[in-house]
Amino acid sequence: MYRIRFHGRGGQGMKTASRILGKAFFLEGYEVQDAPRYGAERRGAPMFAYVRASKEQINERGIIRHPGLVVVADESLIAVPAAGVMQALRSDSILLINSMEKTKLWQDRLNFKGRIIALTQSPSGKGWDEMRFIGAICAGGAARLAGVIQETTLTLAINEELAHLGSDVVQTNLEMALTAFNELKNDTGIVKEGKPVRADDYRPPSWIELSWEDPKLSAPAIHAAATSEKLITGQWRTMRPVIDYSRCNRCWWLCSTFCPDGAIHLDKERYPQIDYNHCKGCLICLAQCPPHAVSAVAEPVAEAQKREGE
Amino acid sequence: MISAFQRLKDLPSSHILGSGTPMCAGCGGLEALHEIYDIIGEKNVIVNAAGCMTLLSIYPFTPFRGSWLYTAMASAPAGAQGVRDALDILQKKGEIDTAEDLEVLVLTGDGSANGMGLSSTSAAIDRNLDFFYVCYDNEGYGNTGQQYSAATPHAARTATSRGVHGYPGYKKDLFAIWAAHRPEYVATAVGAEPLDLARKIEKAKKMKGPRLIIVLSPCPTGWGYDPQESVEIGRLAVKTGIWPLKEYEDGKVVHTKISRPRLPVEEYLSRQERFQHLFRPQRDEQLLAEIQNRVDAYWQAIEGR
Amino acid sequence: MKRELLTGNRAAALGALLARVDYLPAFPITPQTEIIETIGAWIEDGKMDCRMVTMESEHSMITAAGAAAVTGVRVFSATSSQGLLYGTEMLYTVAGWRAPFVLVNVSRGLSAPITLEPDHNDIMAVRDCGFLQVHCATCQEVLDSMIMAYRLAEDEKVRLPVIVNFDGFYLSFTREPVEVPTPDAVDSFLPPFDPGSIRFRANEPLSEGVAVLGGAAYSYFRYEAHLASEQGIEVFEKIAAEFSDCFGRSYGVLETYKSEDAEFTFVMIGSFATKAKDAVDRLRDVGWSIGLVRPRLLRPFPKEAIAKALKNKKGVAVIDQNLAAGLGGVLYTELSSVLYNQKGAPDVLLSFIGGLGGRDITPEDFYQIAAVTRKAVEDGETPPPRLLYSEEELLEVRKLQSVARAARQTRGGGK
Repeated sequence: MYRIRFHGRGGQGMKTASRILGKAFFLEGYEVQDAPRYGAERRGAPMFAYVRASKEQINERGIIRHPGLVVVADESLIAVPAAGVMQALRSDSILLINSMEKTKLWQDRLNFKGRIIALTQSPSGKGWDEMRFIGAICAGGAARLAGVIQETTLTLAINEELAHLGSDVVQTNLEMALTAFNELKNDTGIVKEGKPVRADDYRPPSWIELSWEDPKLSAPAIHAAATSEKLITGQWRTMRPVIDYSRCNRCWWLCSTFCPDGAIHLDKERYPQIDYNHCKGCLICLAQCPPHAVSAVAEPVAEAQKREGE
Repeated sequence: MISAFQRLKDLPSSHILGSGTPMCAGCGGLEALHEIYDIIGEKNVIVNAAGCMTLLSIYPFTPFRGSWLYTAMASAPAGAQGVRDALDILQKKGEIDTAEDLEVLVLTGDGSANGMGLSSTSAAIDRNLDFFYVCYDNEGYGNTGQQYSAATPHAARTATSRGVHGYPGYKKDLFAIWAAHRPEYVATAVGAEPLDLARKIEKAKKMKGPRLIIVLSPCPTGWGYDPQESVEIGRLAVKTGIWPLKEYEDGKVVHTKISRPRLPVEEYLSRQERFQHLFRPQRDEQLLAEIQNRVDAYWQAIEGR
Repeated sequence: MKRELLTGNRAAALGALLARVDYLPAFPITPQTEIIETIGAWIEDGKMDCRMVTMESEHSMITAAGAAAVTGVRVFSATSSQGLLYGTEMLYTVAGWRAPFVLVNVSRGLSAPITLEPDHNDIMAVRDCGFLQVHCATCQEVLDSMIMAYRLAEDEKVRLPVIVNFDGFYLSFTREPVEVPTPDAVDSFLPPFDPGSIRFRANEPLSEGVAVLGGAAYSYFRYEAHLASEQGIEVFEKIAAEFSDCFGRSYGVLETYKSEDAEFTFVMIGSFATKAKDAVDRLRDVGWSIGLVRPRLLRPFPKEAIAKALKNKKGVAVIDQNLAAGLGGVLYTELSSVLYNQKGAPDVLLSFIGGLGGRDITPEDFYQIAAVTRKAVEDGETPPPRLLYSEEELLEVRKLQSVARAARQTRGGGK
């Protein structure tokens, strides 16, 4: 059975990716399950979707464990433990990462024995804008790596799954998906079907007896303030607002008031400072700044600039 | 009473609501909540009903420096009643000092406020409960994917009104319904007008009894626009007269900001995906005129006085 | 200590008075209303220092009760039947908050068809919500259970809300002699409520009842509430022993009546169990070896005590005053789950369903239940569940049906 997980953020089209791939497998004569899994249904929040495909009837249910392929639409998620990108990978799992970084860099960074492929080349040269089509790109890449889906089938699946968005949208998505599909030609079929867990050779679950604990601890209550600041929602950001302090006129702190996330504070000199750990990149500050002192920089570019600066 | 908030410069320059919440980027409701929290402070218990903001506190993370109680969709005002009464009892018994008293603030979306929570709100006002109520109004059941609620405006497309004319109903006048109970204070506000909002919170904070505020909460996810436009959309709601900023006090309604001249409603509608069917593939003149006429009629009644 | 004639409702109100309850969110419903009316009058007379607020629904009432309890005051509330079900969402919620307070439910059958008369379907419908349940058979027990219930709810091992349950009409409106303890004695048994750190205070931020994501956290919190409920057995026994020392009346998690040496046993809950005691005596008069086991705690379910009390019985008859549609008697299925796999489990376990919507259970019913049970033991075959329902009753319903049908025909016939 093929077991494939797509990791992305709410709004990036991972559900669409799983449906395109699911439909493509289905059209190739496979039994299929595809499903999205949300935590809090929020644009920007980590989520995943998955596809199972098999020539046999599928009795498995629920989230995919031991995936043959994990597709990561948003590389920033790899560092987010709650996103579970690296969860239960097999040694022969394939990791396909949409990233400007080289494969080698990911191999060094992640302690992972399996094969890593970085979709480093932007398929159409349009760069970061492609995040709008990343669902289709991921589906196209996954279809190639699975190796049992023909180009015509992929095309048909995209046409069917995206029909409600209109023909222009379908066409662009199709181009993107096929670019990824073709780019990975040399790795056709490297994803292997996974075997079921053997009933005579398995690691028993480490079941324990839960014992009574004091309700101070065991009730769903938080005895602390502003713990949400431990969550790095800055990782949601695709565009980074950057303040040009030569233009900032220390106005009436509009950016700081309007920032929904309270991620802009004033420093001692009353200049606004953006808390990039928590700025989600909505860019209200950019839109509202009277002297236009805020500009938007694509995250990977901003990161690269930051590294150069160091 | 002279407001401490005369100019934008007077607005709080530090913010106390914790960042790191799971609200969508550009959330107009969160923007208003942090503006409110800056002024109302942390000495309170926020009693919440099911809605987007239920997810502000997901174990073990909370943005609040004060307290929070999640109840259910229908009964947040009843939860406020229990907390308020208990705090009063504890003070009467001398177990907590009056200076240590907490404000009780109900926080719900428009779905709860206009629908299943309306009965418990009405009853809390009947009982003259000393509480704040903030309704973040994103004009639909936003947390479940923007199905229409009783607060959805006429003609808006939602997940459950996808037809060519959008939502056939009309936005419920919750302000009037609340005001008809003759509580201490009722107001409308929007995060995009932070001075107006600050003055209202400042004023209500000094009162006792039921004080209720509906904050229009532009929703990039549910209304369909780029998150960076959230403030602009909120401002246009005021400038077109679609969202009148007003307050009720002592039996009278006063408008706190009147746009002259009012911009055509199209300026507001055309920037949102949920109203695109009024413009494309061709203009729906009849619906556009109806929406404009309703807004004009509202303001004629106000300004004609 | 003095003896007074009290209805069950008044005994419950008196229990709240003696427990020095701070707060009572209320909503009227038959047959409970007398409780809140009584307390309301005491508050107005200055006899009781309590804040009572009439809410607009039971859903709001349970919300306010839980919210006040987590703010740190002692809370009482009361309801019945439809009210209990209307508040059910919040029963689960406030139990999840670990809000300790006492709720009386005066049992009454459920709609539709609507009825005012008692049975146990209301309380059985909320058996899994996380509240502990104490079931009473007499007005004395109502008063005593109220006082013990606060100790149980507030015990740091438990910290969960408790329902004190008793039957509408048969106890709620029935006066019986009740020994009323002195306020001083109750004060020394029941200290003021200490909410510990679960409370709303300035400078002590507390986010209560927050959402969780993921099965691991959810399973943990729910299971911890279950484990806390299970602690209720031991805590109840400890409290009951102290209560016995203070007031001279002993309560176990089960009441057993002449069952220790008996071959046959009735099992039932609530006020009709006293009728079963009478039946036991009359049957023993004519040579039967029979007794009664009455679970007083239904949540936590006293599994070990029940298995022990029914060990080596030849036949056990479970009498349910409730009906789980599509299944049968609820108590019967719970008993079965406890006894299965037990060594020395009864040879036969029989299900009888009676007393629905106030239907009486007569001495003859009890005798016949005993006879059917003995026959099942002799034959080695367990008969299907038996509804206690007679030919005469069906005849009565037939008469009603003929009127109901005739009325429709008259209108529809176009005469």
